[in-house]
Amino acid sequence: MRGKVLVVDDEPEIRRVLKTGLGYQGFDVLAVATGEEALEEVRRWRPDVVLLDLGLPGLDGFEVLRRMPDKSRVAVMVVSVMPGEKDKVRALDLGADDYLVKPFGIQELSARIRAVVRRQAAIDDGRPVIQAQDLTVDLERRRVNVNGRAIHLTPTEYEVLRQLAIHAGKPVTHTTLLREVWGEYAIGDRYNTRYVVAQLRKKLGDDPGRPRYISTEPGVGYRLETG
Amino acid sequence: MKEVRGLGAALVGVALITALIGLVRPWLDVPSLAVSYVVLVLFVGALWGRLRAIGIALIAFLTYEFFFVPPYGTLLISAPKDVLNLLVLLAAAVLGGTLAAWLRDARLTAQSAALTTSTLYEVAVTALKARDVGQSLDAVVGATARIPGIESMTLFDERGEDKVAGPELPAGERERLRWAVRRQQAIGIRLKDGQVSFYRTVGTVSEYCFLPTSSGLIAVHVSNHPVSPADSRLLSALLALASLLLDRRKAQLEGERMRQLEASDRLKAAVLSSVSHELKSPLAALRAGLSALALPAAGLREDERAMVVGLDKQAQRLNRLVGDMIAMSRLEAGLLVDKQQVDVAEVIGVALHEIEPMLAGRTVVMHLEDNLPPVLADEAQLQLVIGNLLANAAEWTRPGDRIEIGTNHADGNVRVWVENEGDHIRPVDLDRVFDKFWSRRKQGSGLGLAICKRVIEAHGGSIGAENRRGGPRFTFALPAAERVPAG
Repeated sequence: MRGKVLVVDDEPEIRRVLKTGLGYQGFDVLAVATGEEALEEVRRWRPDVVLLDLGLPGLDGFEVLRRMPDKSRVAVMVVSVMPGEKDKVRALDLGADDYLVKPFGIQELSARIRAVVRRQAAIDDGRPVIQAQDLTVDLERRRVNVNGRAIHLTPTEYEVLRQLAIHAGKPVTHTTLLREVWGEYAIGDRYNTRYVVAQLRKKLGDDPGRPRYISTEPGVGYRLETG
Repeated sequence: MKEVRGLGAALVGVALITALIGLVRPWLDVPSLAVSYVVLVLFVGALWGRLRAIGIALIAFLTYEFFFVPPYGTLLISAPKDVLNLLVLLAAAVLGGTLAAWLRDARLTAQSAALTTSTLYEVAVTALKARDVGQSLDAVVGATARIPGIESMTLFDERGEDKVAGPELPAGERERLRWAVRRQQAIGIRLKDGQVSFYRTVGTVSEYCFLPTSSGLIAVHVSNHPVSPADSRLLSALLALASLLLDRRKAQLEGERMRQLEASDRLKAAVLSSVSHELKSPLAALRAGLSALALPAAGLREDERAMVVGLDKQAQRLNRLVGDMIAMSRLEAGLLVDKQQVDVAEVIGVALHEIEPMLAGRTVVMHLEDNLPPVLADEAQLQLVIGNLLANAAEWTRPGDRIEIGTNHADGNVRVWVENEGDHIRPVDLDRVFDKFWSRRKQGSGLGLAICKRVIEAHGGSIGAENRRGGPRFTFALPAAERVPAG
């Protein structure tokens, strides 16, 4: 798969390394140093994925995310050195698709980029049935299956799974889950999501110590693993 | 002095009225002339109160009897009609004087109540309007010093060392002040049921009284002059206000101190984050570059590729070391932990996922208890602890060996243990493994387990090592949190 990746990082060495490394992995790469250039290239060059460093001088990563045109078409992967949980949540809430902590190996990075690109294509399909390994979530009929076996969920459990499924592969923050499932007033009460996810895992036969379907994003939220 | 002069004037009044009656009487002998005395008694009553009015009434009665009731020049009465006349006069004088005195008291009470109210009102408005407690305290001090009988008021902090408002105390009074602070006992002043009273400790000269409050000390300089009951009500109200304002001042100072502490925490966190950025950025370039060179597309020879892979592993090791050092600095800087209800099994899952590359070939067996209660913890720090324990187990095992991780809960504690196959730890070293920079191997940083100990202790838990049959086991315990039902 060829994809267009825009690297935004103020460190020249990182720009050079990622340009070459991602080039080896078959991506088209363009690297820029500032947020202003990034916004311009998103309009002009139309990349599939933007690899955005949060700690940019001047227009910072969050501001670039906020001003990003056509968020539904371009996937944004945020990278940062030691981002706090709050930074991750903020970036995701501003529309980032995923985040990756520096330092990282090039294989890990390209695997994540491929997943983001694949997801982007899937969203364009607008499929009503979401498949994550042997877990199937049928959004039209509100049915959940594991290996062909029907799973009975409470309405709250189904709503949480539905939220994870429509963003399959992408981390969904506690805030988003609370807002979408429990309503605005519930924001801040994280134990709700933890409790329901624990029940969901039990019913799906998922082990919290080694989750197959719903993985934990520490301090951030949950992610439905697409495999 | 004022009263004596007043009394003299009243006597002069009696003499004048007597003389006037004496002058008018030869032409106009009317018994009702005696009523003029009543007018005088009314004045005395209105000005100086009931007792003096009755006194003057008696004097006037005797004078009239002596000069104008036959037989003249004696205190004898010949006609029974005169007895009645005199008794009516006396009764009218006493009653009138009493009534006038009563009106006077009522007026005085109303006046002083109005004064108390208006003074308190002014002070309260000033105290509420002022943004700075110091200004409010100055207002109270000023109002107190205007009370007759009070020379001044001085306010101190709770240690009695810093003057907060009011004039300086004479050097000689410092000793008594320190005594009052040390014993938390008042000197020379009593405040009971909203009533203030003074008792003299050094005779009748003016003196300083000391009243410790919940968050300060009030010194009152009392003059010789007694404080009237009305003023003492005002004074007790002002003392209560001063005490409240001292409380507010203390709360404000503490709030400021907390803000400063938080600001210094923020500064420490900012310094640490900038240091970690500086240390990790070069590592980010190194790791991305080395791992890219290891790709087949880079076209290196097999031996060159192996070399690059080895270098990448070293970069990863360095990254872990930097992470440990930053984590340790954070713990030593005493940065506040962000505690939340955390599901331990979930954190084990995340830690295991993070540590995966280090576990190559080891078998991890899990014994996770069902329905484990959550713990109150900083999720990221708990993940660091479990990750470090797993990394430690990985370091002391070879590919193919078993690492076991388990949880259980008892006596309100959640316990997590990590055990690995392998050599036992020497019994003398079981405690030392948690010391900073102490390592069983030459190349270990000696930080991993030390971090575990600090994090667990900062959460009010405990951690220990023991030798089991299969190998060493590390166990930590954290207090379980209340389970919150989901809505």
